[in-house]
Amino acid sequence: MSKTALVAQREFIDNLRTKTFWIGIFFFPVLLILSIAVPIWLEKTKDLRNYAVIDESGWLLEAVEERAATPDLAKVFKTVVERHKKGGQDFEGLPEALKKLAPVLAPLSEEELELAAASAAALAGPDAPALPLPISKEKVQEAMAQFRDSIRAWWRSLPPKEAGKLAPGASKSRYQRIGAADPGKDAADRIERFNSMLNEGKLFAYFVIGKDPVAGSEGCKYVSKNLTDESLKNWFGSLASAAVQARRLSQKSIDPAVARWVQEPLKFEGKTISETGAEEKIESRDTARQWAPVIFVYLLWIAVFTIAQMLLSNTIEEKSNRMIELLLSSLSPLELMAGKIAGIAATGLAILLSWAVFFLVTVKLLPFFVKEMPDFDLLAVASDPLYIGSFLAYFLLGYLFYAALLVGIGSVCNSLKESQNLMMPITLLLMVPLFAMMPIGQDPNGTLARVLSFIPPFTPFVMMNRAAGPPDAWEYAATTALLVVSIAFAFWAAGKIFRIGILMTGKPPRLGEILRWLRAPVGQLPRRAAHEQK
Amino acid sequence: MANALTLEHVTKRFGAVTAVEDLSLEVPSGCIYGFLGPNGAGKTTTIRMALGILYPDSGSLRVLGEESPEAVKDRLGYLPEEKGLYKKMKAAELLAYFGRLKGMDSRRARARALELLERFGLGDCLERRCEALSKGMGQKVQLAATLIHEPELLILDEPFSGLDPVNVELMREEVLEVKRRGRTIIFSTHIMEQAEQICDFVLLIDKGRKLLDGKLADIKAGSAKGIVLDYEGDGAALRDLPGVARLNDAGQRAEIFLSDGTEPQEILQRLVGRVKIRRFDTREASLHEIFVRAVGGKPNE
Repeated sequence: MSKTALVAQREFIDNLRTKTFWIGIFFFPVLLILSIAVPIWLEKTKDLRNYAVIDESGWLLEAVEERAATPDLAKVFKTVVERHKKGGQDFEGLPEALKKLAPVLAPLSEEELELAAASAAALAGPDAPALPLPISKEKVQEAMAQFRDSIRAWWRSLPPKEAGKLAPGASKSRYQRIGAADPGKDAADRIERFNSMLNEGKLFAYFVIGKDPVAGSEGCKYVSKNLTDESLKNWFGSLASAAVQARRLSQKSIDPAVARWVQEPLKFEGKTISETGAEEKIESRDTARQWAPVIFVYLLWIAVFTIAQMLLSNTIEEKSNRMIELLLSSLSPLELMAGKIAGIAATGLAILLSWAVFFLVTVKLLPFFVKEMPDFDLLAVASDPLYIGSFLAYFLLGYLFYAALLVGIGSVCNSLKESQNLMMPITLLLMVPLFAMMPIGQDPNGTLARVLSFIPPFTPFVMMNRAAGPPDAWEYAATTALLVVSIAFAFWAAGKIFRIGILMTGKPPRLGEILRWLRAPVGQLPRRAAHEQK
Repeated sequence: MANALTLEHVTKRFGAVTAVEDLSLEVPSGCIYGFLGPNGAGKTTTIRMALGILYPDSGSLRVLGEESPEAVKDRLGYLPEEKGLYKKMKAAELLAYFGRLKGMDSRRARARALELLERFGLGDCLERRCEALSKGMGQKVQLAATLIHEPELLILDEPFSGLDPVNVELMREEVLEVKRRGRTIIFSTHIMEQAEQICDFVLLIDKGRKLLDGKLADIKAGSAKGIVLDYEGDGAALRDLPGVARLNDAGQRAEIFLSDGTEPQEILQRLVGRVKIRRFDTREASLHEIFVRAVGGKPNE
């Protein structure tokens, strides 16, 4: 085994014994798990908000509850269809009416399911407007007419927890109305009681609906102690507004269909062009594909920076633990430097490969573990081999470039503190691709992106950023060639600095002095001025 | 027999400072050679050049018959003054690593590491990490790392500094053992007494310049004899003696050099009654005295 390989092997094994390495290994998985689990957990642990309503209008609350039930029931129907498909215990446990409804709902699209839910929620109400939209399928119409009463009754009496299980995120599982809504004679007393309940924390908020909401907002109010969380107010308010708007339309004898038509915005359907020139619909997947590289750039940046930093502190440590002289009596400074760079590269690659493996396994396995799947398009897109491949390749190239710079810096410093001054310009340099990340993501083949790709310190990050473009093959070739040449140059310079700096003690050299080292012929150590001497 | 190390007119400067100036030197094979001089005399620079860590500005050198130290790195053993260990590595592992860096195959390096640790009484510490070793144990491991590949030329920079007496003894034993095997040892020190005890040859160096070199016995034989006096009492009595050219008074022991024409007898007579004399004999001058005379000034220490 060559001496360089020996040094690299030792470095690698030594790193396996450090905490930094294991923190590195677990950093990404923990981040990934948290980013998936925390939102789900937050959703699950959201407190049930108790609220009360005093409805002086006599009709608005009922209308609001019908409208609130629509999206909830749509979610229930979706669950029913899923369980119907799978069968088994879960399906058998559903109420009779839903079980009978399942075969009818099964063939419906998502939009049609929503219409069916609207029909179930509202049609049988005392103040029922016409079916929001005609459901073309007669069977569904029939089934709705038959089952809606029992479904409505079942839904109303369902406890919030159960509702949350059947319809994840349902408004019924988040907001619970308590107390009677009829103003009656003792309205003033009840308001007093609500106020004291607010103070005791038994009630989150209460609404008072004015006598004539169709005419205006007079007499309507929302009372709560919590001034920051407006979700209940917004949710209830928008439902009430919609109900009032419907009333106003019917008072003026305007057909709701007409009103909808009047309000209908003009939609531009997003299309893109495939390689062959055919028009294609833009899906959320495509948008995700466009933005996935940004996440990779961020990870790349963290990886390159931390692992090159590891090399820096490792070099300084080697100097301070006084092994250098002993090592240099056995091998040349260049062999030592190459071995260190290779050993830490192996460490970094081991960490990144573990990330990649974990990531792929998670994307494949996650659907089995998490039932309420958030939007995972991004993850699916990000597991694209082009992205992962260029991520690893650019990590290696970027690392090598910055490794050369940092090993040079590390060799002339005696402590991490000393190295901070010399690190400053490099840190600033590294900020550029971070700031350019968003603009480049938006326009991967724009001028900014193209220009930055040809500046070697930025090439790995910018080209990764542009992967969604993707850039032309010639750009890949040209930028990579330029980067490789720069890496070779950086190594040449680092080698010269390293062999001198590594033996040096005392105050770190100034830039001018380092430049002088670069010009000195190999085999001869340049002189230090007397005042620079220890 | 060929020389283990030859320097011819070697000069090394760092900026305006001349660390080593026009140094010529021959270290014969199979001897113990001491580089002596005060701190900053150029000992370490000379050693680093011999190892190929630094390159001379001018002049030439041959190490184990080769022009370039790089070519014989695997046959050199070096114990630097600044000694360290990889804290996370186990003692046996560390030794094997250095053995392999010197070109040994891994099995031989491992076997030799175990052998050395056993010999140094560290048989229980094979699997212990270096950070868990006591300072004395660490010093033994460092020495073992230098010896692992049985170097033909062993170079020790201030090997005794910072060692406890037990390890000084161990170090001395090992140095003699290496010599018994017909190999060469160079070591540097600024403590003359250490060199006096084991060196065959010495180089006296100060401010980068060679003052003297050669066989220790020859150097001593060529120097004026002096009186060694062990005494108790007031040292002031020694100071105003007539006929004394130079006096090195260490409090309990003094070295007295007489001016021409003065007999030791006269000195003894004058001293009787003024201090309590425990020992009085004439012998060769100490290295310390030789060094001081060579510098031609006051003692540096």
